[in-house]
Amino acid sequence: MRTLLLAIVASITLAAQGAAPQVTPQDLLDGLKDPGKWLTYGGDYNGHRHSPLAQITPENVGQLTAQWTFQTGTLGSFQTTPLVIDGIIYATGYNNLAWAIDARTGRPIWRYRRNLPEDLHNCCGAVNRGFAVLGDRLFMTTIDAHLIALDMKTGGVLWDTELADFKVGYSATVAPLVVKDKVIVGIAGAEFGIRGFIDAYDAQSGKRAWRFFTVASPDDPIGGRTWPPNSDAYQRGGGSIWVTGTYDPQQNLVFFGTGNPGPDYYSNAREGDNLYTASLVALEADTGRMRWHYQFTPHDVHDWDSTQVPVLADLTINGQPRKVVMFANRNGFFYTIDRVTGKVIVAKPFVETTWAKEIGPDGRPVLLPGHLPDEEGTKTCPDLGGGTNFMSPSYDPTSRLFFVTARETCATYFAFDQKFKPGEQFESGGTTRPRDQKNFGALRAIDPVTATMKWEFRYPSVSSSGVLTTASGLVFAGDGDGNIMAFDSRTGKNLWHYQLGFAMRSTAGTTYMLDGRQHLLVPSGSMLTAFALPAGVAR
Amino acid sequence: MARARSPVHLLVFFASLTAAVSLTAAQEPPKVSPARNNPHLGNKESIRSGLALYRVRCADCHGLDAKGYRGPDLTAILGDMPDEKLFQTLRKGVPGTDMPASTAPDDELLLTIAYLRNLNAISAAEAPSGNVDNGQRLFTAQCTGCHRVGMRGGRLGPDLTRIGAARSRSALVREIRTPAEWFPPGYETVTLVTKDGQRIRGTRKNEDVFSIQVMDMRERIQGYLKGDLREVIYETESLMPSFTTARLNDSDLNDLIGYLTTLRGSDSSVR
Repeated sequence: MRTLLLAIVASITLAAQGAAPQVTPQDLLDGLKDPGKWLTYGGDYNGHRHSPLAQITPENVGQLTAQWTFQTGTLGSFQTTPLVIDGIIYATGYNNLAWAIDARTGRPIWRYRRNLPEDLHNCCGAVNRGFAVLGDRLFMTTIDAHLIALDMKTGGVLWDTELADFKVGYSATVAPLVVKDKVIVGIAGAEFGIRGFIDAYDAQSGKRAWRFFTVASPDDPIGGRTWPPNSDAYQRGGGSIWVTGTYDPQQNLVFFGTGNPGPDYYSNAREGDNLYTASLVALEADTGRMRWHYQFTPHDVHDWDSTQVPVLADLTINGQPRKVVMFANRNGFFYTIDRVTGKVIVAKPFVETTWAKEIGPDGRPVLLPGHLPDEEGTKTCPDLGGGTNFMSPSYDPTSRLFFVTARETCATYFAFDQKFKPGEQFESGGTTRPRDQKNFGALRAIDPVTATMKWEFRYPSVSSSGVLTTASGLVFAGDGDGNIMAFDSRTGKNLWHYQLGFAMRSTAGTTYMLDGRQHLLVPSGSMLTAFALPAGVAR
Repeated sequence: MARARSPVHLLVFFASLTAAVSLTAAQEPPKVSPARNNPHLGNKESIRSGLALYRVRCADCHGLDAKGYRGPDLTAILGDMPDEKLFQTLRKGVPGTDMPASTAPDDELLLTIAYLRNLNAISAAEAPSGNVDNGQRLFTAQCTGCHRVGMRGGRLGPDLTRIGAARSRSALVREIRTPAEWFPPGYETVTLVTKDGQRIRGTRKNEDVFSIQVMDMRERIQGYLKGDLREVIYETESLMPSFTTARLNDSDLNDLIGYLTTLRGSDSSVR
């Protein structure tokens, strides 16, 4: 009898332990190789959001049909990039709700709900940009500045680690980036006078492995002198991280864009370049040590976070193979940068910009006069929302085109001195829209070798939608009025649209194969909508 | 199982409850308005900060000079309004109007008040002038075809039931004399040209890449697919005619404005 019991226990243990982890580090390196999976924020470590799937084509995309919708039943909008693994969708939502959903039917399997404190401080809503995954675990940041690991099967909490104190304005909305055995995240809250950082945590234990401050301390040999001397201004210097970075396995480097310096608008509060805010930083994945940095907007006074996705690619420029990182920045310039050295190869405006004439040979913007905000107000283009923002771009390595949602806007910027109080908003200014200003949005295709626009499709209003491309030559993007649309990637011709009822914000569509049919999954408002071709067309 | 209480027990219970409530009330005195001790009043640096805050948050509706644009003339209101009331209005907004509540720190509201109190032009509330009866007759003859007051009038132009509370005199003059200077959202003039050449003129209610929704001159609301249209013309002229002095002399304009400033009715959509 005792022998039998031992055998049963052993077989149960074996079954529990023997199940292979659903997602391995190699799976993450493989990106979108497995057609049934979407495993990371950008689809792959390069941040391309470019799928190799080709069942939906320019010829048949007009027949895309909604398959099901999922409603959260709560207030607040999705900004998530849902992950898809073996027929299950994993999505995070507003107020740190999260779900596992049957990808065939849209029916929820489990729901996670975080018990959030009442006295939260966040500038821009209790949003979340998605899960990361490793093994059988999902990782999510929270609006009260924690990082948590959930059991993929149940939504149960496996560990819960505090990143920083939410009571003084720290918060977290970024989708984590998993590299090897580490979960890499950043902190937000620059509008409350925080000091930003990028952290790595052990995926198994939740213990912190390293921290990189995005605001240099006085003893930092590179950035220390870019803040006012004998001052604690750097302690509230901002530098939020709220958009996921990318990873170059060959160099073992992670790339993150950093947020604006704090306070946002008042120049006198923080004389100097204010490193490493409004910058791109290249950090060693195992240690967090900075290999190089490039500052897009030294001493930013227009709230132009550089929290956009750094997109990695290998290009031939002037006959030479170059490893580059491409960056459409909120300040209105598009940059192609050598990702080994951090030096700018080419940079040009991709929207109307009035604050800088050009990017000089030394990589610094050549400033135009009259754009320092003050109490009277100064007009500058683009507005604080920027030439683009947190919405993910896409890169098609076949056509070698970079696709981005562009915003054509201007604002009057104001600034004033403000006393800092922990936990209170600390922006020292604001903006208005000039009365004669006609804003609009556009999907733009940019050649990263020359930083010039190849085509555009204009929208009547500005959009915050991300972009997805596929190997069949399609671009999927959303306008500011609730349409998801498909375009021919070579020409920009509109091929299909569907009115979702609410604009896509931050997020882009994702695509995957399920039961032999390519699906397009689109978050908008409090709804997920799945599209596919009719069974007879999908082959 | 709950035990039934006798009347004596109930009296004791309510007496203790009342005492507890009184004690709590005694422990938490009514909150003093932060505006009662505003450290920024008269401070030059604070007033400059208040100017920037005013321009960011208030000037779009109340005008750079605070004399009103789409919102009321503050120089005519603030003379009779204590700072505590002004603070409360900034904090909570005005229900039923475009004036929103604010979540800004108290200090920023106090800076704004310091700026407003420094304006030289604070004056007594603007008394209606002109012949209101003649103004009403003019309004009935010239304006009710397109504008509604209460339950009467047209719907092609904005509802004017509360216009007296929402506009300064100078803003009303501007909008009557040169209506094309500013279109309220939803009242931009458009002409749609169908593929067979038919022209549909009206006000633009909404629009996206693929469609446009309008109210035409017969007050019919309708949506159109842009793919079915030859052209969408965005006009720079308002559907409202410009009431120049040749059309409306200064005396009649004064009477009309006198009538409009009496329109302070409740918004029927707000309960």
